[in-house]
Amino acid sequence: MITPNPTRSFMALLFLGPAAFFFFLIVLFPFLSGIYYSFTEWNGVRANPVWIGFENFRYILNEDPQFLGSFWFTLQFTVVTLFLTNFVAYGLALILIRPLKGAEVMRTLIFLPNMIGGVLLGFVWRFILINGFQALGDLTSFDFFNQAWLGTPETGFWGLVIVYTWQSVGYLLIIYVAHLKNIDTQILEAAQIDGVRPLRMFWNIILPLSMPAITVGFFLVLSWTFKSFDIVLSLTAGGPFRSTETVALNIYREAFAYSNFGRGAAKSLIYFIVVGAITYAQVRFTKSREIDG
Amino acid sequence: MIRKLLLVVSTIALLGLPLIAGGSQSTSSVKEINLFHFKVDQIEQWEEISQEYSRVNPNVKLVVETVGGASDWVTALKTRFASGSGPDIFVVDGPSLARTFDEYLTDLSDQPWVSNTFESARAPLTFDGKLMGMPFNLEGYGFIYNKEIFSQAGISTPPKTIGELRTAAEKLEAIGVTPFGNGYSEWWVIGMHLMNIPFAFQDDPAFFVESLSNGSATMAENPLFQSFQDLFDLTIEYSNANPLTTDHNAQMALFNSGEVAMVQQGNWKELDIYASNSNAEVGFLPIPINNNATFSDRLPVGVPFYWVVNNQSSVQQEALDFLNWMVTSDFGRSYIGERFGYIPAFYDMEPGFTGGLSQDIQKYAGENKTIPWNFSTWPAGMYNEFAEHTQRYVAGRLTYPEMLQAMDESWKRLSQ
Repeated sequence: MITPNPTRSFMALLFLGPAAFFFFLIVLFPFLSGIYYSFTEWNGVRANPVWIGFENFRYILNEDPQFLGSFWFTLQFTVVTLFLTNFVAYGLALILIRPLKGAEVMRTLIFLPNMIGGVLLGFVWRFILINGFQALGDLTSFDFFNQAWLGTPETGFWGLVIVYTWQSVGYLLIIYVAHLKNIDTQILEAAQIDGVRPLRMFWNIILPLSMPAITVGFFLVLSWTFKSFDIVLSLTAGGPFRSTETVALNIYREAFAYSNFGRGAAKSLIYFIVVGAITYAQVRFTKSREIDG
Repeated sequence: MIRKLLLVVSTIALLGLPLIAGGSQSTSSVKEINLFHFKVDQIEQWEEISQEYSRVNPNVKLVVETVGGASDWVTALKTRFASGSGPDIFVVDGPSLARTFDEYLTDLSDQPWVSNTFESARAPLTFDGKLMGMPFNLEGYGFIYNKEIFSQAGISTPPKTIGELRTAAEKLEAIGVTPFGNGYSEWWVIGMHLMNIPFAFQDDPAFFVESLSNGSATMAENPLFQSFQDLFDLTIEYSNANPLTTDHNAQMALFNSGEVAMVQQGNWKELDIYASNSNAEVGFLPIPINNNATFSDRLPVGVPFYWVVNNQSSVQQEALDFLNWMVTSDFGRSYIGERFGYIPAFYDMEPGFTGGLSQDIQKYAGENKTIPWNFSTWPAGMYNEFAEHTQRYVAGRLTYPEMLQAMDESWKRLSQ
């Protein structure tokens, strides 16, 4: 056991003090004042917010269908993206761990979109989906390209799914490749000698052994997509007619476009609780698996 | 070890002190006016104004901050105030935003330039008889039309009613030109400017807005909102492909290439049009609301933004002096007219740019054939909701009466 002595606590203060100070200033203080504002009516500019108790929460849950709608949209979007990105990334990883020519280059290329900022990515894909697809549609007359991309709720939804998948597959691919490379080759060789066919090898050996990485991949995408803001803002801006508005975008609009800071703060508190619950579940789940393994 | 660290920290602190002291000294001799605006295309001009003003008044320094373009200037402005460093002079885009800042506004009624300002330009920011903002210029919007294509299609007189506009659209389509280039993905094109039309044509728009808020009127029952459907349907029927994914840049690309004959846009696109074709022949058609030519032939003209002075500012008087200098000195006046290319909101100034659109705005304003920019009086967030409902209608997901009903519900909710 380490006994605290004056020099030690001074050193602790010296090294932790600045970080603790800035953590309080930049994270904790705004968070606590945000909780306070969620109980007030405030336009974000006036000097004195008015205390109104739980009125904001009552309004949000009873009279604001758009907020619940954006929660529902975010949930749908998250679930679809979750399965699609992990499925594609895992599949690509299985192909790219083989000693293929150019596998390294392919991995880098697939990872590349992850390096581009979300806003820029959104604008680039907006151009591709609206102008590029239209041009392809004129050339090929495929119905797929000739739809009003981003002009209907359905194409808006799938447009976002495509762009998100395109961006995050590379990151997951790196995780899966690293994990698959670490699978003990002795097990695989033993199975091969025992005459296990490739498909069975995948289902009964490789996939179960990949579960820890897949868990990580699932929760990563879950937290990314649930909080998505930047790509949505630049790709669809929540349109058409707010059908692709995520919760984060809805909160931003409430606070800044509608000038209801108090209500926006209340929405973000609700959002925080939901995101907190998901994160808690994630930590619990991964912890329990680590002990099992 | 610790002593050494302390030595380093105290040395840094000692070195820093004179810097802080020096900083505060310089502000005491030269007063700084912080000015906030959102015209990113005028950064250069404002730099020149700031230099000239320092030359004329050596003890005042104008510090210009520009937030705009792709970034959200209203958010940036609110953040400044929330952090306690509100600018001394800033812009608001109309009465609704001005009311958000009502605790900070300075009464400008006694300023020397007031009597010289167009009455209609002053009215929106006059609260209880007090003028709270200074306009610089007028802007107008409508259907910008390509006169060349119109004459090719054999349309000799500019259409003034919905019926005439329909006939024109048919003729345009007959020669293979798409009549309307609708930028309906843009919330301000559809939710703000287009929906302003049935508001602005009311006999007393301000009273109508008030009646909506206190529940004594609805849009669904209003005859002008009902007749507006014919115009809205006409633009959708003769529309470019995918209006819900066409933004304002795409609109202008369609118009400048001659693919469409009309776009609902404003004179802020004038330089854009003449840059792509210096011989362009363009003009404004008012957006008609019924088949009465004298009633419908009025153009929505308004003030895009007002300068307001922060009453908490320590340099309030200097700020007022600067605004007065802008409209009285030859230097300032030349900027409002020529360098900004504005249509000034003052009786004694000439417009700086005389393209077809500016001419038409002046013509309509001169003949008093204008309707107001009523959207600046709507409750905050209203245009976003209007954009949502109208886009649903364009997509065929709502009927017209359902759209009006949804708009009424939004109004009820947001005007609380």
